[in-house]
Amino acid sequence: MRKLVKRGYLALILLFLYIPIIVLILQSFNAGKSRAKWEGFSLQWYSELFKDQAIMKALYVTLSIAVIAAIAATVLGTLAAIGIHAMRKRPQAVMMTMTNLPMTMPDIVTGISLMILFTFSKIERGYITMLLAHITFNTPYVILSVLPKLKQMNKHTYEAALDLGASPSYALVHVILPEISPGVITGLLLAFTLSLDDFVISYFTTSPMVQNLSTLIYSKARIGIEPTLNALSALMFLALLVLLLIVNRRASNPAKAR
Amino acid sequence: MVEKEHLIDLQHICKEYDDTAVLTDINLYIRKKEFVTLLGPSGCGKTTTLRIIGGFEYPTSGTLLFEGKDIGALPPYKRKVNTIFQKYALFPHLNVFDNIAFGQKIAKVPTKEINIRVEKMLELVNLRGYGKRSVDQLSGGQQQRVAIARALVNEPQVLLLDEPLGALDLKLRKDMQLELKRMQQALGITFLYVTHDQEEALTMSDTVVVMSDGRILQIGDPKSVYDEPANAFVADFIGESNIMRGMMLQDELVRFSGANFPCVDAGFGENQPVDVVVRPEDIMIVGNDIGQITGIVQSVLFKGVHYEMMIDTGETIFKVHSTVMQAQGSNVGLSIVPYNIHIMKPMLRPVLPSEGEGEEEEAL
Repeated sequence: MRKLVKRGYLALILLFLYIPIIVLILQSFNAGKSRAKWEGFSLQWYSELFKDQAIMKALYVTLSIAVIAAIAATVLGTLAAIGIHAMRKRPQAVMMTMTNLPMTMPDIVTGISLMILFTFSKIERGYITMLLAHITFNTPYVILSVLPKLKQMNKHTYEAALDLGASPSYALVHVILPEISPGVITGLLLAFTLSLDDFVISYFTTSPMVQNLSTLIYSKARIGIEPTLNALSALMFLALLVLLLIVNRRASNPAKAR
Repeated sequence: MVEKEHLIDLQHICKEYDDTAVLTDINLYIRKKEFVTLLGPSGCGKTTTLRIIGGFEYPTSGTLLFEGKDIGALPPYKRKVNTIFQKYALFPHLNVFDNIAFGQKIAKVPTKEINIRVEKMLELVNLRGYGKRSVDQLSGGQQQRVAIARALVNEPQVLLLDEPLGALDLKLRKDMQLELKRMQQALGITFLYVTHDQEEALTMSDTVVVMSDGRILQIGDPKSVYDEPANAFVADFIGESNIMRGMMLQDELVRFSGANFPCVDAGFGENQPVDVVVRPEDIMIVGNDIGQITGIVQSVLFKGVHYEMMIDTGETIFKVHSTVMQAQGSNVGLSIVPYNIHIMKPMLRPVLPSEGEGEEEEAL
């Protein structure tokens, strides 16, 4: 009996959590335009989605920014992590606080502060500013996923490479990077996911001319939600789900992550 | 003035971290093909000395010469020395073969030549056929051998070894001691070895350098360091000893533990305070009527080859090693041959750290 109550409680919570997204996915297959009643199964919204120029353009912006920002943040974050790891205790603690702070800051603060910065330095908002913003908020996450791998490394491994004649840059490429690559890849996936996911910071750092999917949906929703947006949201949910599963799997199972 | 056969010269090397002196005025030379051991307790600066020669630390002051040339500012990858690290520091993402070939690939040795050399090294360290294995699959002893092969394949003039056998069990350690000595002699390479294990140092070395608190206390071959310790610290650290405060009454006569003993030392002056060291195996147990002093056996421990007895003379408790057991509580006489009494100038340091205290200095 007790077990039944426990399970029922859990099921209820999960139901409340996922019912909106389930309804959304079901609606994306609804043949009718009305959201109130089911008019049969159809894939028409999906096909219309791919014909919509504005959505396709936004999809391109979203994906290209996510890819470039993830790669740039991974390079910056990995090098930063190696530097932080080599620091002495006190400066290391200072750097870690500076790394953690932007992650705990509300997105809206980050977004507004970036917008003010761009306005102040007279950089016109658009694709480049949104990209810079994404690199900025992604970098700390990469640092945090790479650092544990560096800490696991035998601290003499790098010295051993130098001892055998490797220059510092050769040792970085051939010894350190292969050692920490699981952390680097996790950081890359995390950065990509966060970039896809972001709305608030993008909203404040781009112009109405350059829209990514989240800002586009937001502006369209103000006029009224079209069923194509259901299909789009369903696809985005699926893509993020897959990415998150991969990231979690890597995080919980470091042996397989190699 | 540097002699020709000196390979490495350390001249007045000092090292400080945040104003704390780690090494103070280290002067040491290492000859070609010599097996030199830096021996001392944790934190005595032996590993730091090794790392300065390897290029991982730079001295605060002093000169480091290699074949007469100053290499104090060269980075590690430009020095003709190789290092065996504590815990080996193998590259986990490479297999055994690629670990050993690492330095050769950097040196742009042709692939064919690398294959031949690596195979030869695998043979030397008794790991034939292990080339394709991952290093994670190897036991501690095998990883150790890979680390040795990875360094030796580059034919360094000097091999630096930082407590390389510390992580192995006793039996394996003894085997590896002999094997390292064999390799060193076969290849004619200079070895600089760091350990806190005095027995290891005495077994393997041509020259032992005893260090404490960032200073060199004594340099000598194993026998002279054991038989003629420079001071009470060295005596206590190397082997077991009875160390007593005594008084040099005149040349060749010393007083300690309430009796006068003839000895062979002279030149201390009359009625001078001294430290007296007697090895436990140098104290003879004789009948209580003919001993120089008498005492009561307090405890008896069986140690395998000998018995270790603590004998209380009222003034001093002597540690005595003998193959003949005396019953606990029995009254015995003790006698010491003059040349087994070692007289030293008293040390300024009041406390003697006990042997084997603490872990390795890099245990963090």
